[in-house]
Amino acid sequence: MSDLISDNYSMLLVMSRFGIPIGVGEKSIKEVCKENGVHAPTFLAVVNFLLEEVPPKIDYKTLSKEHLIVYLQHAHDYFLNFRLPNIRRKLVEAIKDCPKDVAFVITRFFDEYAEEVNKHMMYEEHTVFPYVRKLLAGEKDPHYNITVFKKRHDQIELKIVELKNILIKYYPIDGGHLLNSVLYDIFDTEQDLASHNIVEDSLFVPAILELEKEINA
Amino acid sequence: MNITNLKIAIAEPSFVIRSGFEVILKRTHNIKIQLIEIPSAELLIDTVKKMQPDLLFINPLFLGNFELLRLKEHINTPIRYIALVSSLLDPATLSQYDENINIYDSVEDIEQKLERLNEQNEEKDNAEEQQTLSTREKEIVVCVVKGMTNREIADKLFLSTHTVITHRRNIARKLQIRSASGLTIYAIVNKLVELDEINHPHAEI
Repeated sequence: MSDLISDNYSMLLVMSRFGIPIGVGEKSIKEVCKENGVHAPTFLAVVNFLLEEVPPKIDYKTLSKEHLIVYLQHAHDYFLNFRLPNIRRKLVEAIKDCPKDVAFVITRFFDEYAEEVNKHMMYEEHTVFPYVRKLLAGEKDPHYNITVFKKRHDQIELKIVELKNILIKYYPIDGGHLLNSVLYDIFDTEQDLASHNIVEDSLFVPAILELEKEINA
Repeated sequence: MNITNLKIAIAEPSFVIRSGFEVILKRTHNIKIQLIEIPSAELLIDTVKKMQPDLLFINPLFLGNFELLRLKEHINTPIRYIALVSSLLDPATLSQYDENINIYDSVEDIEQKLERLNEQNEEKDNAEEQQTLSTREKEIVVCVVKGMTNREIADKLFLSTHTVITHRRNIARKLQIRSASGLTIYAIVNKLVELDEINHPHAEI
């Protein structure tokens, strides 16, 4: 497990989102998963999915949907309650020397963006996950299916890309180290949000589609 | 910067061949590639229309009797078509394509062909593309950040709404900014408007 994280530091986030703390010692991935009550095949599916250039063939039936939901919920919590507020604090600090009106519209842009991400993720929390949990308990909802989600699911990283472009092209004064650091954070978050969305679209949704098929059969 | 973005769709039924191309394409320097895989013919037209790739790599056998010319009519956006050749084909068929890539081509050959296609793309972009906004476009940006609807903008500037929409699309492409709140930052930084002129709720383009 420690090899995996050292070689691919972004897997640190995956581990933490499955609820596995660091301090893994010399234990293998299988052992660490077992100790923390994590379904190892699902953990590996996410890891391989994010690391492989060409996505591996996955047997969606073997994935633990419950653990996938936990993973996605932890990720939501990370973005909404840690990552975005953290960037906002740094951003506000970084732009405090630029003209008041510019700082104001930049902050407003960011807040609108954070609100969009919030809405996007809350829809999943309040509609999609409860639906899947009921499905797992064998309850069918005649008014909803995962295809509805698949269709309305948009790429939430696009607007933060826009903020990054705007700052790079039009920021009026020297932003200094702190603004660079904010830009790094934004690049990073953009990647992270994109992979988060890919996991939802290409791992979670197909797994639920399979589950729907099974239940309707 | 020299790095360009290229959206490539691969319409090829064989997973092995698609994946192989993916690996080669991703190795190409200076070109950032976004790849769209189209594994079956039914998805072809919808996917291409939706994703609007710059290049479409397509196995001519994939089209069957459906001719490339008819496909072009259907799709009707400026993309270039590259034949992905895995068997012996009539040269007349191949001549309809902008380029041919054979599965036995060496990696270097493929990279060269790709570079050439990319250069053509850039030339095309440069020719029709100026990054800075025209005076008219700036006027429209100001209206948008003041929260005016397309109808209101059209009335104020004596344009048709259709023209306003076209302008807005060009603005979005030139600045790479799509949202009204993003345009607001642009307008404030470039002193096109004052902050107190624009307090209103935002709408998306």
